[in-house]
Amino acid sequence: MNRDRSGMQRLETTIGEVLRFGTITSSTMFAIGLVMTIVGYQPAVAQLLLATGLVILLATPPARVVVSVIEYVRERDWTFVLLTGIVLLALAGSVVAAYF
Amino acid sequence: MNLLTPLTAPLALIIFGAGTVAGALGVALGLGGGIFLVPFLTLVLGFPLKSAAAISLATVIATSSAVTAQRAGNQLINLRVGMVLEAATTVGSLLGGITAQLVAESVLRRLFGVVAIAVAAVVLGRVNKRNVILDPTVDPGRLGGRFYEEESHGIVSYRVKRLPLALFASFIAGNVSSLLGIGGGIIKVPVLNAWCGMPLRAAAATSALMIGVTATGGAIIYYGRGDLQPLLAAPAVLGVQVGSWAGARLTYGASVKWLKVLMAAILVIVAVLMFLRSNA
Repeated sequence: MNRDRSGMQRLETTIGEVLRFGTITSSTMFAIGLVMTIVGYQPAVAQLLLATGLVILLATPPARVVVSVIEYVRERDWTFVLLTGIVLLALAGSVVAAYF
Repeated sequence: MNLLTPLTAPLALIIFGAGTVAGALGVALGLGGGIFLVPFLTLVLGFPLKSAAAISLATVIATSSAVTAQRAGNQLINLRVGMVLEAATTVGSLLGGITAQLVAESVLRRLFGVVAIAVAAVVLGRVNKRNVILDPTVDPGRLGGRFYEEESHGIVSYRVKRLPLALFASFIAGNVSSLLGIGGGIIKVPVLNAWCGMPLRAAAATSALMIGVTATGGAIIYYGRGDLQPLLAAPAVLGVQVGSWAGARLTYGASVKWLKVLMAAILVIVAVLMFLRSNA
């Protein structure tokens, strides 16, 4: 139980870091890209920034799930490896539904 | 909306402003902002519902990530419950995202109307509600949790009951999230709180974690189908983040009773408009 709790704490901290990085990066790209678009400065670069910001935004929650899978494998908690695996499979299903 | 929609500075500012208001209202009422943002984009700006839902899902992801990053480590978020229920929400959001591509705009509008009425009822039902203080000596078990509550200066401990019901509510929430562009917390949180034994704050924090990955399942489909444009999503995302930040500071400790009643009334009007315009 003790080991379990410390693992959970570590996971929660790591998840927080992943989410913080994703939020700050995508928001910064959005802000710069938008201002550039509005003032008409380097439209191609602005579009690239906005598109990349959106992809990072969309990739952030899945990255958090991947981090969780890794932690549960380390703890050999197979129930949660299975559950987080289902989440990743469903997200993969969305990618398939989006493009095929 | 097609991919060539030019983003004029006024349109960007309007979307940013709408996001700010929706984000602030969301925080004040304990809802996501999507339930306000989607009708604004559809009914006022004339976006197709799919486009509005896609933009709103992007804001849901940003809100979820920002709020969860901020809360990580304070034990309010129940990671285990979150990850169990996410298996249901993401499968639901995959199905909802596929369904959204198959059904007509008019069907989505009517569905939004129905959900807006339900949300209004939940908001009104919460007007006089307070968090229940539970016995701190309860053994939380494998899925339960324990956290420190500031108002009561005590440890709150809880067990999670009726897991199949929570899974079912999460599955429905995932479907609705993708179909209508809302987070789905409005469906999960009342169920987790009223029937599954989770204190309101823990239920809300855990739901906030889940809606990010849930909304991603839907948003990916809209993105791939060309309904999610970075140029329109960016001002909405930034607006909602500014609005949530401001809302948290403005309404801290303030009475939001009148606001709840007002917003419930607005949601009823939204529902009526969604029905009226579903035949257009």
